[in-house]
Amino acid sequence: MATNTLLMSTTARLRGRRVQLERRATASKTVRTSLVSLAGLIGGPVTNQAGEEVGRVVDVVARLYGAEPYPPVTGLVVRVGRRHAFLPADTLEKVHAGRVALRSARLDLREYERRPGEVLLARDVLDHQLVDVDGVQVTRAADLYLAPLADRIVLVGVDVSLPTLLRRLGPRRRQVRPTPERVLDWQAMAPFAEHATDGPAQVQLRASRGALHRLRPADLADLLEDLGRAERQQLLHMLEPAAAADALEEMEPAELENLLREAEPAHAARLVEEMEPDEAVDALRDLHDDEREHLLERMPAARAGHLRRLLAYPEDTAGGAMTTLLVTARGEQSVAEVRAVLAAQAEHRTEIDAIAVVDDDGRLVTDIALFDLAVAEDATRVADLTGWLAQFGPPVTVRPGTRLSEAAAQLVAARVSSLLVVDDQDRPVGRILADDVLDTLLPERGRLHFRRFLQ
Amino acid sequence: MTRDLDTTAPLAPETAAVPATRRRGFGRLAVIFAIAGPGLVAANAGNDAAGIATYASAGSQFTYGTLFFMVLVTIALVMVQEMAVRLGAHTGKGLGALIREQFSLRLTALAVFCLLLANTGLVVSEFAGIGAAFELLGVPKWAVIPPAAILLWSLVLFGSYRWAERIFLIMSLAFFAYPIAMILGHPQWGEVGKHLLVPHMEPSKDFILLAVALIGTTVSPYMQFYAAAGVVDRGAKPEDYRLIRLDAVLGAVFACIISLTIIIATAAVIGGTGPLNSAAQAAEALKPVAGQNAELLFALGLIGASALAGAVVPLSASYAIGEAAGVERSVSRSFRDAPLFLGLFTAQIVLGAVVAMTPVDVIQLLIGTQVLQGLISPIVLVYLLVLTNRRALLGTAANGPRYRIAATAVVVGVACMSTILLVQTVLGWFGLG
Repeated sequence: MATNTLLMSTTARLRGRRVQLERRATASKTVRTSLVSLAGLIGGPVTNQAGEEVGRVVDVVARLYGAEPYPPVTGLVVRVGRRHAFLPADTLEKVHAGRVALRSARLDLREYERRPGEVLLARDVLDHQLVDVDGVQVTRAADLYLAPLADRIVLVGVDVSLPTLLRRLGPRRRQVRPTPERVLDWQAMAPFAEHATDGPAQVQLRASRGALHRLRPADLADLLEDLGRAERQQLLHMLEPAAAADALEEMEPAELENLLREAEPAHAARLVEEMEPDEAVDALRDLHDDEREHLLERMPAARAGHLRRLLAYPEDTAGGAMTTLLVTARGEQSVAEVRAVLAAQAEHRTEIDAIAVVDDDGRLVTDIALFDLAVAEDATRVADLTGWLAQFGPPVTVRPGTRLSEAAAQLVAARVSSLLVVDDQDRPVGRILADDVLDTLLPERGRLHFRRFLQ
Repeated sequence: MTRDLDTTAPLAPETAAVPATRRRGFGRLAVIFAIAGPGLVAANAGNDAAGIATYASAGSQFTYGTLFFMVLVTIALVMVQEMAVRLGAHTGKGLGALIREQFSLRLTALAVFCLLLANTGLVVSEFAGIGAAFELLGVPKWAVIPPAAILLWSLVLFGSYRWAERIFLIMSLAFFAYPIAMILGHPQWGEVGKHLLVPHMEPSKDFILLAVALIGTTVSPYMQFYAAAGVVDRGAKPEDYRLIRLDAVLGAVFACIISLTIIIATAAVIGGTGPLNSAAQAAEALKPVAGQNAELLFALGLIGASALAGAVVPLSASYAIGEAAGVERSVSRSFRDAPLFLGLFTAQIVLGAVVAMTPVDVIQLLIGTQVLQGLISPIVLVYLLVLTNRRALLGTAANGPRYRIAATAVVVGVACMSTILLVQTVLGWFGLG
């Protein structure tokens, strides 16, 4: 049946992934042979030195948000009789598969109190969402693996495969048996657990947060779309605002709308502020009036005013789709100077397609494509380039009120990849890029997101 | 590609979540329409093939006798849908995800199994409905069901499902003939009023069987999963909850009013003639409206409603299960990327079509699937009740003491009906019924 192929393909994929994990703890043979399944440990007996059972494991406490790459286990929550007690990690002799041996015969019964950075692994992490940074996917932890590393017990890996779920449904005998071939290294994981515990935990950036920053914006956008509400807000807070804003630009409009609505207004405003103006305007357009005002009020006045001006243009016109990020040059500047200006704008490189040359009144003289600039000599003056370009006629421009379909036709006719938008006085106010036009012309793209089927 | 779907065809009353958030300068009228609109549309889809068969059978077998019971079911539906959308709005998670996070894995597996079983039953009934409709038009069902299954499957996976969806939706509007048929059929209004207000139950086995089927078809397990997912997908926040609740309640009440008109219309025309035997008989209830064309109208509506639900029901089950398994997010078009999701979807459609092809009495099959729903629904309701009672999950939005008693009463009531039916059936096997 279908289940069979489905199990196989999952494991096959995970096996392919393991190749990259060489330098990690789970790649070491000693660690892999001593893996202890958390799901199998819960409910298992706790024995004292004499081998007598004194209680049962309820949960495992680990410091998830510390500086260590692998979260150390700080203790166990154990049920003794009807009470729940906390056993610090230093009282543990050894954690076996499915049972725990204590170092001393004495049992000091203390209530468990949560300390900053700690989580209950079974309650807050197992069966909850995780971001798998290497595989760029959102999954649920089917099992967690503990292993002794140096003198401590640490959380080394997580299992997200379906066969492991089936194993946990089976009898207890099979539950304790680890399946190391499907373990993903904990360093590649970004967990979310604070929301499930009482009170705010102190979150510190860990190695995996660094890994999150290595993800491409489009991948991050996928992850954000896939996470639950609380989790995606946490993920946003883990990212630098600039990186988060890049990811937001890649999200589906409907998902982005939901995300901004859910976020605290101050944080949402910060993110929108970081987005490219044209993307920010698109996002703001989808919100209602009062929500939009909430965000705009929280931005710096200049930025808010700028966005308000853009919002005033109707959506399907050149003004509504243009980016206001313009690089302008004067005739007396040299090509080398213009290149330096461009270099300073590296973070906006996807938005810059050409350089608008303006006269002293700010009126447009010509539009120099990046190619022409690239092949020009360093010492050449912009005015010389302008003179040479004049033989091809004046640059094609549109007005902010021009309809996008009209702008698309102009773009095709002129055989260029962007058009300048100019006001009544012929001063450039923005630029329409070919990809913005494509966005409006192409049918909806995106993955088959089932939730949207429902509506 | 799929984003545009949100303008069309919500299949359950509550998907209309946050109607006012869609308002853009159309003012008050638009708000009212946005609230009433989706609820109106939802009423169609809730009343799918099996629903029509069950309500029509209630009318023909017990005339107006089940009306009071339907009022009770309406109250139950309102409460259940309210709980589902409250969970969605306050946690931002679907029911499948919540169950996985809040219950043990074994209990999650039980919930998932129940949902899958109930939904496969529903898919069977949708294909049976398509088969029955074509038989009314003179086409044998074995010639229709396999192509219909393949068509639905490929429309969802490859085609532009939203266009098909619109066509099905328009076809299913044929069932709006029922309220007119009810009025033209001159039911005894005095009797109708009496039965709506005065409690009336019959201890007979037939009545209990039909009562469980009525519960099953009205409070289907998939609707709660669907309701929560719909709310989550709109990004509804706790602040929007009042509007969401209003919409859920209005949608549920409206769906039940349509169900009542079907019962009354059928009762007025063929009431008291015993159990329903065929789709043709059910179509007679539409004669006051369509005369000779009643069968055609009925068939049209049946095809639309069945095809609509035939795609959404397996999709929503696959999604809820994917969510519980933790692979909800890798939903894409290829089997390689989403084997669980697409595998379950395909399996349900195949199984549904195969069972619907078996040569059994269509009406009995349709009602049978609803009885199955009715038996499973209390199990799913228990999960819903436990989740909404949890303060750790919902905080101040958790059920208050009074609401908790009322909701528990609803669940216990539904469970009692199912248990009585089960006991009766088992006793029947031993010749004691």
